[in-house]
Amino acid sequence: MSLLRSPSSEPLWKDEFSVFTADERYVTRRQFVKFLSLASLGMFVGNLWILARAYFAKTPAYPANAVAEVGEIPVKGVKLFSYPTPDDRCILVRTSEDEYVAYSQKCTHLSCAVYYSAKNDRLECPCHRGFFSIKDGSVLQGPPPRPLPRIVLQATGGKLVATGVQVSENG
Amino acid sequence: MANRDFTKQKRGLVAIDGAMALVVVLLVIQIWLLSAALEGFLAGHRGVALPAAIFSGLLFACCLGLNAFVDRVDRHSRRD
Amino acid sequence: MGEEYQNKTLTSGKGPILMHGYEFYVDPSRCIGCQSCVKACEECETHRGKSMINFDFIDRSGTTATAAYVCWHCEEPTCAMACPADAIKKGEDGVVQSSLKPRCIGCSNCVLACPFGIPKIFPELEQMMKCDMCYDRTSIGKRPMCATVCPSQALSYVRPEEIARRREKPANVFYFGKQKIVTRVHMMVPEDTDSVSLDVLDYMWEESDVAFAQPQ
Repeated sequence: MSLLRSPSSEPLWKDEFSVFTADERYVTRRQFVKFLSLASLGMFVGNLWILARAYFAKTPAYPANAVAEVGEIPVKGVKLFSYPTPDDRCILVRTSEDEYVAYSQKCTHLSCAVYYSAKNDRLECPCHRGFFSIKDGSVLQGPPPRPLPRIVLQATGGKLVATGVQVSENG
Repeated sequence: MANRDFTKQKRGLVAIDGAMALVVVLLVIQIWLLSAALEGFLAGHRGVALPAAIFSGLLFACCLGLNAFVDRVDRHSRRD
Repeated sequence: MGEEYQNKTLTSGKGPILMHGYEFYVDPSRCIGCQSCVKACEECETHRGKSMINFDFIDRSGTTATAAYVCWHCEEPTCAMACPADAIKKGEDGVVQSSLKPRCIGCSNCVLACPFGIPKIFPELEQMMKCDMCYDRTSIGKRPMCATVCPSQALSYVRPEEIARRREKPANVFYFGKQKIVTRVHMMVPEDTDSVSLDVLDYMWEESDVAFAQPQ
């Protein structure tokens, strides 16, 4: 802060410990404005951090985990599994004879576990009535702000293998 | 630094109050900008980050300018 | 002639007069030594029965002349500048307050620093106390106790127009050697005097023409 003071003004100690009561309010307000500027700098650095993350983020390497056997679950049936880590719960749905879809089970609103409603043919969140499309996980109704992340599946050798997580990238 | 001109001092304090109010408004905008950028980034909209960072930088520059203004007003109204 | 005196009092300080239009004037030549001011000051509860008047016998063996002084409330108070505990503050209305009780450490820096010798140190309290122009009275427009009781008005707290009627004129610029001190309290001086010059060496011994007088 010494850079911003002109050389002709009073020495800093005389300003900060002034004998005039009128100056006390000045010093307090000046300190407050300095603090606000510091907070502003903090916000700016936060935005820069987000920018850095956006540009320099590497696509993570996902493991290939066998999830289920082909034909294990009936049509309109559901199987729960964990992918990529044991803490990430996912839901596998057989939508037709040879179509399988899998999504992360964490609702994008407040992370409640979504379930498959065969009657309505959609994924539903019981907490706040958020509904997701079974075709691509997009939000049909309710408070969830983002679509469900999709689990990429591959059928190899009679097994369904999860090979990646696809977060929708629009923007 | 003897007996100051009290009208000049009062006007200086009013100016500083106005500058402080403006800084608080800018800060609130910056807070919103940060939270919006973070939410967009988490949702996968990578493109939000750059404009948000630019505007945040502009707002921070305005805050610095107001800080320098407050310093200048302080020096003027306390000079003899 | 009255206008001249008014100009002298109003423009020697730079700020507006905020004490309800009154100023304090000290005229030592009017002092009769009754010590009413000392007793009146003692009555105040805020400094526990100790008088804040500086009462001098000028030359007790040679004359009955006396002088009573209050704090001069300088514009740049040397006592406040010298205080290491930041205990002496000067308010917006120009009154230099007595030392703040929580801050004063009783170091007597101010006692040594004040060119007029006003602050009093009370070692039993570890506190400095001095005249604050009866701030509890003057802040609401009353007179200080000393000025109220002084029978000869050696200490007077009146409007500048009333002082203009006296033959002497008020001065508030003092020179101590090369240092210039501007005070809020005025001293009545002869008409042709602009400022009061005080050199300590002049008053050190009876031989005033000897620079470093040695005691015999």
